[in-house]
Amino acid sequence: MDKPKIAMYWCASCGGCEEATVDIAERVLDLVNLVDIVLWPVALDFKEEDIEKLPDGSITASLINGGVRVSDHEHMVKLLRKKSKIIVAYGACSAWGGIPSLSNLYSEGEFTSRAYHEVPTVDNPRGVVPQKSVTIDGVELKLPEILPRLLPIDRVIDVDYYVPGCPPTADVTWKAVTTLLSGKVPPKGSVIGASEKALCDECPLNETKPDKVLVQDLKRPHEVIPDGEKCLLTQGLLCMGPATRGGCTALCVKARMPCTGCFGPLDRVTDYGAKAASFIASIVDFQDEESIGKVIDKLPDPVGTFYRYTLGASTLGGRIRRNKA
Amino acid sequence: MSEEPKVGVFVCHCGMNIAGTINVKEVIEYSMTLPHVVDAKEYIFMCSAPGQDLIKDSVKKSGLNRVVVAACSPSMHEPTFRRAVEEAGLNRYLLEMVNIREQSSWVHSDEKQKATEKTKDLIRMAVAKASLLEPLEDLRFGVQPASLILGGGVAGLRASLDLAERGYKVHLVEELPTLGGRAARLGKLAHVDMKGAEMVGSLIKAVVSNPNVTAHVNSEVTELDGSVGYFKANIKYKPRFVDAKCTLCGECFRVCPVEVPNEYEFGISKRRAIYLPFKEAYPPVAVIDSETCTRCGECVKVCEPHAIDLDEKGHDLEAIAGGVVLATGFSPYEPPEGEYGYGHSKKVLTLFQLERLLDEDGPTGGELKLEGSTPRTLAFIMCVGSLGTTKNAHQYCSRMCCASALKNILTIKDRYPEVEIYTIYKDMRTYGRGDERLYERAAERLVKFIMFEAPPTVNVKSDNLEVRVHDATLQEDLLIPADAVVLAVGMSPSQSLPKVRSVVKVGCSAEGFLREAHLKLRPVEAPADGIYLAGSVTSPKNIVESVMAGSASAAKAAALFGKEEIRIEPMIAQVTEEICSGCAICIAMCPYGAISRKQKDEKRVAEVDKALCKACGACVAACPSGAMQQAGFKDIQMMAQIAALTEKRGA
Amino acid sequence: MSDQFEPKIALFACNWCTYAALDLAGTSRMKYPPNFRVIKVMCSGRIDPQFVVEAFRDGADGVLVAGCHLGDCHYIEGNYKALRRMTLLRKMLDTMGIERERLRLEWISASEAARFVQIAREMVEQIKPLGPLAPRLQVNQ
Repeated sequence: MDKPKIAMYWCASCGGCEEATVDIAERVLDLVNLVDIVLWPVALDFKEEDIEKLPDGSITASLINGGVRVSDHEHMVKLLRKKSKIIVAYGACSAWGGIPSLSNLYSEGEFTSRAYHEVPTVDNPRGVVPQKSVTIDGVELKLPEILPRLLPIDRVIDVDYYVPGCPPTADVTWKAVTTLLSGKVPPKGSVIGASEKALCDECPLNETKPDKVLVQDLKRPHEVIPDGEKCLLTQGLLCMGPATRGGCTALCVKARMPCTGCFGPLDRVTDYGAKAASFIASIVDFQDEESIGKVIDKLPDPVGTFYRYTLGASTLGGRIRRNKA
Repeated sequence: MSEEPKVGVFVCHCGMNIAGTINVKEVIEYSMTLPHVVDAKEYIFMCSAPGQDLIKDSVKKSGLNRVVVAACSPSMHEPTFRRAVEEAGLNRYLLEMVNIREQSSWVHSDEKQKATEKTKDLIRMAVAKASLLEPLEDLRFGVQPASLILGGGVAGLRASLDLAERGYKVHLVEELPTLGGRAARLGKLAHVDMKGAEMVGSLIKAVVSNPNVTAHVNSEVTELDGSVGYFKANIKYKPRFVDAKCTLCGECFRVCPVEVPNEYEFGISKRRAIYLPFKEAYPPVAVIDSETCTRCGECVKVCEPHAIDLDEKGHDLEAIAGGVVLATGFSPYEPPEGEYGYGHSKKVLTLFQLERLLDEDGPTGGELKLEGSTPRTLAFIMCVGSLGTTKNAHQYCSRMCCASALKNILTIKDRYPEVEIYTIYKDMRTYGRGDERLYERAAERLVKFIMFEAPPTVNVKSDNLEVRVHDATLQEDLLIPADAVVLAVGMSPSQSLPKVRSVVKVGCSAEGFLREAHLKLRPVEAPADGIYLAGSVTSPKNIVESVMAGSASAAKAAALFGKEEIRIEPMIAQVTEEICSGCAICIAMCPYGAISRKQKDEKRVAEVDKALCKACGACVAACPSGAMQQAGFKDIQMMAQIAALTEKRGA
Repeated sequence: MSDQFEPKIALFACNWCTYAALDLAGTSRMKYPPNFRVIKVMCSGRIDPQFVVEAFRDGADGVLVAGCHLGDCHYIEGNYKALRRMTLLRKMLDTMGIERERLRLEWISASEAARFVQIAREMVEQIKPLGPLAPRLQVNQ
């Protein structure tokens, strides 16, 4: 019998998810024995045409990381959907847009200008910006269109499973892969490889919380040397643990860094950023507008903090279009 | 929910109240186009018997499993339609009401088309929510017809008597070795021809002779578990070391070598380590103060009836009650040393100390003598510790001090007509019945009244006390060479409150007293069901007001005890343990202390005490994982309702 | 921005104060703009910021969150939580381009029907010139 075909593709990605896949270390040898990899741009030389030639639905599973930022991504994910039985959104970007989806707060003009003109270390005296197309020797070369927003892949195609993380840890990746290959798959749309509960469930500092978790100040990580024996949230740090899916074994917290939320929301939450903001605001222990305002004003970038990995999948999706009036 | 929702929409005309503005036919037609709606009916008065029958018939004929009634405000007829739905064989909570009278037709009668559009929108939203409603069962709790009352002062005594006379068992717990509270240490009372101890004594007698009352004196409640209907208290009895064989012969008092300031005389005289708090104390048994007793045993030697046991141990007792009354009173404001010369001179005393001096049963036999002599000039400084007069003072008015001071002033004037009295006040608030007359009589007796804005100062000199004040009325500085100064100290929250609050979950107001459920509408109830607040524990009160509060709280408790069972609406918070990470964010959200963490399979999850949860939903909005939900207001139900705001998402 | 634009405003009303004030406006036959769609909650403390963003996505041009006056909450402190959450949410919505006039937090007691009417009229007038929100939402279904 033929080995199941697997495809792995990257859209708007930093490459971390590819590294994470490889991070499964020796287990990758077991994996490549079990499957037939038909697409893996980072490592293997298959091309788009190779995929087009495959019969529809013949790829058992395609693991896609990175969000849909340009028309080319959109095209590829749609192609892979056609050719695959199962689509797995691998990593925060394909699942919810990831950090790159914070660009949804800006227009194309704004971020192009920033990247090519405003960044202090950019030397661009002639003000060059990328062109969409150029004709050389009568041949037109085109770059893909930048889409109005960076989208999680499930806004473009039907997604079967999600593997959370930025990137998913090696153990989560292995667990997800073995779940898929076991034949005993959870309901469509499930998050696999990780926990059903928030991070606090597996965090060693959860036990140290007092009965009432309330804070009178919010601190940024550089403002405090955290006590490694006490829940970081109770020390005023913005630990997203309570709002974030577990499964990573609380790696960051164990290194005294507050969780930033890369494993995304739990199943019942529709908008991670709003929910995270809700719980943080709830524990600010003041009753008057002025004191509350003072604490909240300490956050320089609440959208960046609470929607760090999930803006693309948020209810509003990013900054809405400016009012033309 | 495994079955497909089948929703029936029932639109009431309410005569012309709704139908006069809203196009009901259009609304009915529209409702039939909504997802899951299988029947839509209108009727002139849906709340009437035929209207309810219409609903019941439709439930049967169309196999409805959800009902939406668009009519008046749910505050009017939600119970009516819930009953109808239940009689039709459905769970009463599978009903969603839409307010299209008070909140549509009555307020948009000039814009009929828009009112109709709004009505359609609201029904669409209600249908979306109703489709996701789940059957719920009322929570039921049995009620123990017994009361636990903390505090044996006038409020606690009044509450005890009222409840006992109604046939309910009462556990009255008093931490001091005697009942009576503060009122028992007052001299002659205003307007009533009795001493404080006499009046309180009559109340005590009635209380302790009632077979329904168990008085636990010299005891404290150290633990309180449970909630409305069933509280379990641990009452710790502290040993008196003297039992009921005591005949109050007084021999032990004579031989005891220890002398300490007598707190029952507010420190102006001393007592022994073995003592009787005061003449009318109840129980009429001596008591040993274990903190100052040296265990020398002299008292044992002279005790003829052998009533003293220096080795007596305390013991614990369990009491069950359906409701708890907190009547733990107040503490007199204690001026910091130096405030108005307090603590720097024996001739600066508080009003409470003055009461003891003027009492015939007091340490001076009723004679106004300080350091052996009667003052010729007396300055009363009012509003001490109140009205923000000094740095440590409370901002509020302590209510009882004006009348109380004037009563004493008149007593002094009666006995010592030559004494000159100056009353220096920030405000004069003789508001109670008969109190203004006290003020008038004092003025008639040529008591001088001086109003201040800036507080007076008291300079302790070798032979007198120089009181300086800027008279706000005359706009002049005055110097009063007083022989003694009486400070009319106000009421502070009881010093025992932190201890009480560690046992009973009651919140505090901004001033530090216990907070009532609603200042005006529910003044003797704590926010948590089954806990009542009587007397000065919630705010400064005079005796009349405290006794009223005692009776009021007893009435509230009696209303509870009169029910065999209490039914509570089930829209409470619920934890899905499979999702709960035990993050504990919810615990601090609950003002009723209804949430705690419990062990589950080596991890922790949140747990909601059904009896304490009041269904506000604050914990639900804070829950970062969605594990906490509110029955009847779950996130998916609310989101469905919101999603149906506009047509395009309604489909 | 046509003069026919009528904003649709989601009104999250707490049962004990705001909802009662709305009823009082009804029994008093007061008149106010028909732009509001009430979503009842028992307490303003139940209002999840997720509800607010969801309302904006689902067609609300404005959102009014209303509860009891601070210190008067039927459930003691729910409105303080609403205050904290809406304060943070508002800051986030600023970054997301939602004008301040579109989200309002008000404390309306059960007797303040007239005040509600005033707030209602004000809010509708302030949102009208801003135009509808929906065309500016770039959301892929």
